[in-house]
Amino acid sequence: MTTDKTANLVSVDRRVTLKWLMGAMAAGQLAACGDAAKGITWAEVEAIKGKGYGTDPDLINPSVPWPLTMTQAELVAATELADLILPAEGDYPAPSKLGTPAFINEWISAPYPDQHKDRVLIVNGLAWLDAESKIRNGVEFARADAGAQKLLLDDIAFKAKVKPGLEKPAEFFARFRSLTLGAYYTTREGWAEIGYVGNQPGTGDYAGPTPEASAHIRGVIEGMGLTYTAP
Amino acid sequence: MTPEEPHDAVVVGSGAGGAMAAWVLTRAGASVLMLEAGRDYSPDEAPMLNMAMDAPLRGVGTPDKRFGFYDATVDGGWEMPGEPYTMAEGSEFMWWRSRMLGGRTNHWARNSFRMGPYDFKPKTRDSLGYDWPVSYEDIAPWYDRTEKLVGVYGSNDGLENHPNSGPGVLQPPPKFRVWETFLKAGGDAINIPVVAARRAVLTKKIDERSPCYWASACGRGCSIGAAFQTTTSLIPWAKKTGKLTIATGAMVYEVLLDAGGKATGVRYIDKATGSHKEAKGRVVVIAASTGETARILLNSRPNGRSEGLSNSSGQVGRNLMDTVGSSVSALFPQLEGRPRYNEDGAMGLHAYIPFWDYKRIQSGEVDTPRGYHVEIGGSFGDPGMGAGSGLDGYGSSLRADVKRRYGSRIGFTQRGEMIPNANSFCSIDTSTKDRFGIPVLKFNFAWSDSELKQVKHFQNAMKELIDKLGGTLVEEPPEPARAISKGGEIIHEVGTCRMGADARDSVVNQFGKSWDVDNLYLTDGSVFASKAHKNPTITIMALAMRSADSIATRLRTGEL
Repeated sequence: MTTDKTANLVSVDRRVTLKWLMGAMAAGQLAACGDAAKGITWAEVEAIKGKGYGTDPDLINPSVPWPLTMTQAELVAATELADLILPAEGDYPAPSKLGTPAFINEWISAPYPDQHKDRVLIVNGLAWLDAESKIRNGVEFARADAGAQKLLLDDIAFKAKVKPGLEKPAEFFARFRSLTLGAYYTTREGWAEIGYVGNQPGTGDYAGPTPEASAHIRGVIEGMGLTYTAP
Repeated sequence: MTPEEPHDAVVVGSGAGGAMAAWVLTRAGASVLMLEAGRDYSPDEAPMLNMAMDAPLRGVGTPDKRFGFYDATVDGGWEMPGEPYTMAEGSEFMWWRSRMLGGRTNHWARNSFRMGPYDFKPKTRDSLGYDWPVSYEDIAPWYDRTEKLVGVYGSNDGLENHPNSGPGVLQPPPKFRVWETFLKAGGDAINIPVVAARRAVLTKKIDERSPCYWASACGRGCSIGAAFQTTTSLIPWAKKTGKLTIATGAMVYEVLLDAGGKATGVRYIDKATGSHKEAKGRVVVIAASTGETARILLNSRPNGRSEGLSNSSGQVGRNLMDTVGSSVSALFPQLEGRPRYNEDGAMGLHAYIPFWDYKRIQSGEVDTPRGYHVEIGGSFGDPGMGAGSGLDGYGSSLRADVKRRYGSRIGFTQRGEMIPNANSFCSIDTSTKDRFGIPVLKFNFAWSDSELKQVKHFQNAMKELIDKLGGTLVEEPPEPARAISKGGEIIHEVGTCRMGADARDSVVNQFGKSWDVDNLYLTDGSVFASKAHKNPTITIMALAMRSADSIATRLRTGEL
């Protein structure tokens, strides 16, 4: 893929990656392709120790007080992955254009227990993605060509079709996808795509459903043999 | 006046019960000192239209802010640094505190369902629990006054045990949204009522408060005054009389008595300086919340008596109840791809399912003795961090799935009655103190079979409704014992100083007056004799208004 994203791949979280590569190499000797993760346990990742935003933050002017922790390599892999999860389509931009990788960085760097669980999954998962891609394709995930990336994702992205042995990477992928979708559809662009038209103060009585929305649900209800009551 | 000067009344707490008492008393001409453990607060701090995107972590709940970054609660939660509580072995209880002016009224859901005739006389009806010393008819006029003052939307449907309000009391409810109309069609077909909800949200202007503008989550606090909270209403009104003095950061821990056994005031820690101070008044009103009120009484030990104050009945701390909670949710293919429009509405219930199965309880066909209501949610809203929930795969099919599924999921939340039981109570843990040196509460809590059977009834009824509408459960609900909420989780805890007709088995009389101390009143959820399925706040306010009216009369006649 494009080289600008992969220019700085050295600052990987060394401890995690080394553990990973050792495991992946050991497994790789047994099975050359795809089964590399079998029998590997994911590394512990140290919890973030800093302070959260506290019990009385400024709500009108919010800020994120904790330092961001993702390495350049992790950001590159995360960007690539997010943009494969929701590729740009027509008017809808790719997640990287809406700050999704930066949000994932904010999320897994937060000093809270739920986010720590995700941190363990995602730091290990992104390292796995690169290690697995190197075994299969000889290059990190972001440098692999689109076809090779998809072959890899097809092994972990579908609940009913997870390749045996890749349950942990599949768990990582599901969580990463969930964070990507959450981050994406909470933006104005995401709202526009999905059709959320709220957060708009109005005056007078609540307008309620449009005539089109009412006619539609009336058709649905009567089509089911039930009785429609106008709101 | 200053907090150091003696007032007519010392009111502990600034939430629903405390603020209502302070307003009624100041309006009657009494001078009131209100003591609040938390900081001063104004809903001008509310982030009315901020997007989730602008908040850390898209605004999701964290240990610092359990209901999300934008929730109005400051310095509060189930766990608070330096303010622990303990639990008996085998018990689990979550004790919510809200240390701020206005207390929990700044973030409550504003659901305001009246208790009905059955709810005030539960023991008479099924021989379980305990009867209130008042009937529905005694309290109905106080509900009318409270609803009118507060501003509650809803409709009068004449349903069994869900009383109508008086003429002209309710504000018009907002229109049902598409998914609510859809649910009503299903409910109508199987005799499960889906009717207008009742919420303390203005749909018409009252005094200086604006009506709802159909945006902004009510839990953030409402700077336009549409969603009721004491910091935009009772407290500023009481201030306007010139009779209210407020001391914030005042952590009350003890009631003071004179030699004759009358209350003279309270002792508190001024959090800013750490010094112990006394506040004096002719009458003491405690509305510190169910747990904290019991704690203050149990930690007040006149003449070293270990049972605490106002506890000749032994009932202080007993009869702890919370609302029964559980939930199911379902996806409805019939709602997929429906036309978009603004469904924010009143940012809460427009419709709900009141309990409907009383007749089959009476006949014995239903094996759970008490009812529940169902709160429903399903609008086109900001999808939040749950946007991807239940989705699979990646790529352009995933984009299509997100869009297709948007607005087709409905959540059903049970809110049910708990019957008081001998295993649910709080007491003082003499071996643990908080950061102020005050001995903490220890909780015992257990649900009984009645509540578990009620969860089963709810699960079965909702499955029938979902099925009627062609929906599929997101997941099969677990067995009741695993599906039911933890004690305190619904934050409706009540009952630790119950009111009754007999001083031998209750703590206060029907006016919230202590049986043991003639000038000590309680006006919060602690006085509840039962925990109907109806959310407690509107009842707390109606009872507090009635109690304060009685106090005002006694102050005026010189009885106090």
